[in-house]
Amino acid sequence: MRRAVIVASVLAVAVAAALVGLPRTETGEERVARIAAELRCPVCQGLSVNDSPSESARQMRSLIEQRAAEGRTDDEIRDEFRAAYGDWILLSPPASDPRGLVWLAPVVIVAAGALLVLSRIRRRADAVAAPTAEQLALLRERARLEEADS
Amino acid sequence: MYAEVGAGVLRAALALSLWGLGSSAYASWKRDGRALRSARWSSLAALALVLVACASMVAALLAHDFSIRYVALNNARETPAYFSAISLWAALEGSILLWTAVLACAVAFVAWRGTRTLPRLATTALAVLFAMLSFFLFLVVTPAADPFVPIDPVPPNGRGPNPLLQDHWLMGLHPPLLYLGYVLFSIPFAYALGSLILGEGGDRWIVATRRSALVAWALLGVGIVAGAWWSYAVLGWGGYWAWDPVENVALMPWLVATAYLHSVMVEEKRRMLRTWNLALVIGAFALTILGTFLTRSGVVNSVHSFTQSAIGPLLLGYLAAVLAFSVGLLLWRAPRLRDAGTIGAPLSREAVFLFQNVLFVAATLTVLLGTLYPLLVEAVSGDQVSIGAPYFDRVEVPIALALLFLMGIGPQLPWHGASRATLERQFAGPALVAAGGALAALLTGLRAPAAVIAYALVGFVCATVVQEVARGVRARRALHGEGRVTALVNLFRRSGRRYGGYVVHVGIAVVALGVATSQAATIHGEATLAPGGSTVIAGRQIVLERLRDVEEPQRRQVVADIRVGDVGLAPALTYYPNATQPIGSPGIGAGPDHDVYAILAAYDGRGRAWATIQLRVIPLVSWLWVGGAIVGLGALLAGLPAPRRT
Repeated sequence: MRRAVIVASVLAVAVAAALVGLPRTETGEERVARIAAELRCPVCQGLSVNDSPSESARQMRSLIEQRAAEGRTDDEIRDEFRAAYGDWILLSPPASDPRGLVWLAPVVIVAAGALLVLSRIRRRADAVAAPTAEQLALLRERARLEEADS
Repeated sequence: MYAEVGAGVLRAALALSLWGLGSSAYASWKRDGRALRSARWSSLAALALVLVACASMVAALLAHDFSIRYVALNNARETPAYFSAISLWAALEGSILLWTAVLACAVAFVAWRGTRTLPRLATTALAVLFAMLSFFLFLVVTPAADPFVPIDPVPPNGRGPNPLLQDHWLMGLHPPLLYLGYVLFSIPFAYALGSLILGEGGDRWIVATRRSALVAWALLGVGIVAGAWWSYAVLGWGGYWAWDPVENVALMPWLVATAYLHSVMVEEKRRMLRTWNLALVIGAFALTILGTFLTRSGVVNSVHSFTQSAIGPLLLGYLAAVLAFSVGLLLWRAPRLRDAGTIGAPLSREAVFLFQNVLFVAATLTVLLGTLYPLLVEAVSGDQVSIGAPYFDRVEVPIALALLFLMGIGPQLPWHGASRATLERQFAGPALVAAGGALAALLTGLRAPAAVIAYALVGFVCATVVQEVARGVRARRALHGEGRVTALVNLFRRSGRRYGGYVVHVGIAVVALGVATSQAATIHGEATLAPGGSTVIAGRQIVLERLRDVEEPQRRQVVADIRVGDVGLAPALTYYPNATQPIGSPGIGAGPDHDVYAILAAYDGRGRAWATIQLRVIPLVSWLWVGGAIVGLGALLAGLPAPRRT
């Protein structure tokens, strides 16, 4: 019963998260916000064009809006800003770029750490659960001796 | 006059600190009581002198003594008294002076309190602390960070503090909290080094510094939340966290310290992770220095700016020396640090603590990498790249969610491992509440998977805490025959460390709820209005009542009086004489369910005939500050001494 409750609850959470994560057609406004969130506001300290209330950010937002209305793709819009400001304008390096290696680091760090912990647990568990053939032979030998002794 | 007094006492304090270093090292080596007494008194005298130096600086700021360069650059006749006084930490030299003062307090504390319980270990730690204090006193008497350097000719008026620092009362709270947190980490660090120097194998250094580690962690955490609040109330973009390097360097030591506070429990209970805990405390301490170096040397703006600051190379040298010395000690003593215990099973409390440690360290390393990456790329190729919110959000949010999950799991698992029946009994209720949390997220219209999962996990964590507290109360009632309320109070008084920890967990859950909701469901819009005009932005009726000019001695403001629904707000643009750009002061209507956040984005400079207002409706953002306060309260409960058993 308790196990059923746990399984059903975990499934419910997974379904709920998957439901809201389903791909859907974004509105024009959402698209502008998404592109603007990946561009750096040139006059701010690390804020995105989407977050910044500054005048230059506002102008960049309306430029994105205009380009979107002209039917440009996301990449075309981004490349226009890259041509004007350099790669610096992107708030994260594209994964295709060699500098995009920075995206790999979190995966490597978490995986290495988890493996390290797991290997320690497994090693100890092995040592307890599965004695070697040699150890078994010794144990049998000793049991036999004790039996003979009694 | 202030300058002569300040500079004089700092030099005397440096001499005393060096004397204290020598005598405490000798006392530790020869177990000499007279040398220890001498070190004690020199710690007290050094503290008094540093406090006199701080008082001279504050007095000079309040008296607008512009013959001192620091005062001339960070104060003006028009600066209000409160902001004059807190300009002690408005710039580099004053901040280092404050840091030195807090460190001197820590030295005196260990000299007088610590050496009474564990004489040899504390005396060795005292020598380490005196060495640090000597370095900082050296900084404030060299041109690199001397706060009392005169200026010639004496200007008729000063430049005034950085505009961002004279805009909000929180500036008086946020930096000192961070400094206190940063500096108090020196105590566990010094004891750890002392333990290594003496070749102790045990966990006495952990037990002795349990409370100072907790206090440092809590102050740093509350300081970070206060900083987020300040950023929200002052920077005027509607957010509270921008993954700015300045924010990241405060977050990193806190992350490592959180890992440390948990993994020391494994050492105390299971005699494991000795080397690891030493590495964590060294890491947390090194990150506090790295943070000071990164923010104070100007290196985060460009790799090339750092050599121009005199303090950059000094701090970098200090960091290198600290790392070389402590890592060297650790390697030298590693053979004595064998673990006695073992990890039971993947589903035991110690294993969850280990996974939690992995995630906290991964979060720290990725924040560190993201912060340093632009510098690395610039140093190697000369190219300029940015790492900002899109990177950090995508990397840290999954790690944070995994940590929330472990926060619910860990306290429910016994040490050594759990049977399947135990697991099912412990997690059936919380799992159900988690499903309820996900449902609540759907019903309130959240449309981000991360937010839905966060809601589920917040429900999960809170349910496990309620379950644990209820179980504790039941046990006390059965065992001691106490009433419900008495049992609850005694639970917190007798086992404050454990149940205070659960309160901290609830505080973190509240913060998580605030972050998830405000990030996923903020709505915003903007409109340009004439005075008297009204429109609807972000679903709210907004009226621009008028635009007015406010003249104050130290600044000039253009204020837009607006009405959103029935709430009156006054977003403004503030002009300081020493800044080219105006500072946007938002108008915030805070509430328990949402904040209305208004920004004056632009206005008609000539006739005041129109204004552009941006409006954000930010749900549950105030829960962040409340959650921060709950974390502080929980840490207080965990740190209070338990009453003596009769």
